[in-house]
Amino acid sequence: MAYSDKVVDHYENPRNVGTLDKSSTEVGTGLVGAPECGDVMRLQIKVNPETQVIEDAKFKTFGCGSAIASSSLATEWVKGKTVAEALTISNTDIVKELALPPVKIHCSVLAEDAIRAAIGDWKKKNGSAEAEPALASVSV
Amino acid sequence: MTYFEIFHLPPKLGLDTAALEKQFYKLSREYHPDRFASKSVEEQNKATEMSSLLNDAYRTLKDPIRRTEYLLELEGIELEEQSVKATAAAREAGKEKKQIVPPDLLEEAFELNMQLEEMKMAKQMGDDDLQLRKDLEAAKANFTAMLDASQKTLEALWQSWDAAVDSGDDGAKDAAKDEMVATLNRRSYLRNLVRDVNAALE
Ligand code: FES
Repeated sequence: MAYSDKVVDHYENPRNVGTLDKSSTEVGTGLVGAPECGDVMRLQIKVNPETQVIEDAKFKTFGCGSAIASSSLATEWVKGKTVAEALTISNTDIVKELALPPVKIHCSVLAEDAIRAAIGDWKKKNGSAEAEPALASVSV
Repeated sequence: MTYFEIFHLPPKLGLDTAALEKQFYKLSREYHPDRFASKSVEEQNKATEMSSLLNDAYRTLKDPIRRTEYLLELEGIELEEQSVKATAAAREAGKEKKQIVPPDLLEEAFELNMQLEEMKMAKQMGDDDLQLRKDLEAAKANFTAMLDASQKTLEALWQSWDAAVDSGDDGAKDAAKDEMVATLNRRSYLRNLVRDVNAALE
């Protein structure tokens, strides 16, 4: 298996595995899946209500090594960023950083999806859904 | 030449596999290398090519799931690319992506995986939690039933597809295609769940 060193590193020492309190209004939870392979990933963020900075992030992934590495990296990257900044992270950044081969692209997409879903959940909880009507219509 | 064409079949999903097998043996004999031993190299190569194509075609068409995936591929649906494309589209539109499977299935998949992990850990510590085992047995029955049900759904969709092909109804064809994609996606989660739960119960 030709995993890059960075993937192996995140896989063997995943950062920020765990759970945040789902019911807290400061916490956003994203649960996403990759239909290509049936793997699932949960990523949670804890946002400072004053500054909108993501102060903590946790993940739990049931999937391949690339998916675990992608989500581990995603939690590292979102920490310390504002919500708006975190939304600019795209799967191509992850692919580059981890040197993922083409067949593993969908694994990095899972991580981008998870960040976005977590932020979407947090926004919904904090009533900014009206500002973005698109969120309300797809949130079910 | 599509796999269907090799067997002189219309691109339909309801297929008599016994007839397919017979046809496969008949064609295999026709393209058998021995019959081309005295022919030109070009003809020999062509026969070899045909017989390998024939083998691929047979293997793909006789398996109902692979047959469905192959047909969808012929219809221009890239099953492997759908999630990547949906993410890109949502990013561009500045919207939240809609997950391709229903959220409750994701929830269930996630929960079950958590249970499996717990069980694995308990096993490593030397104890076999009876309640957990019971829960897993129940989950196994549940997911196996869901997997069977999705097979039935798929079979019904094959009929809709075949009927739409016969009547040339493009709208009905598209509807059947969309539902087949959704059902196959659902199956990939269910398959993993059944696989993982079985592994944990061993
Ligand atoms: S193979 Fe499933 S996420 Fe990587």
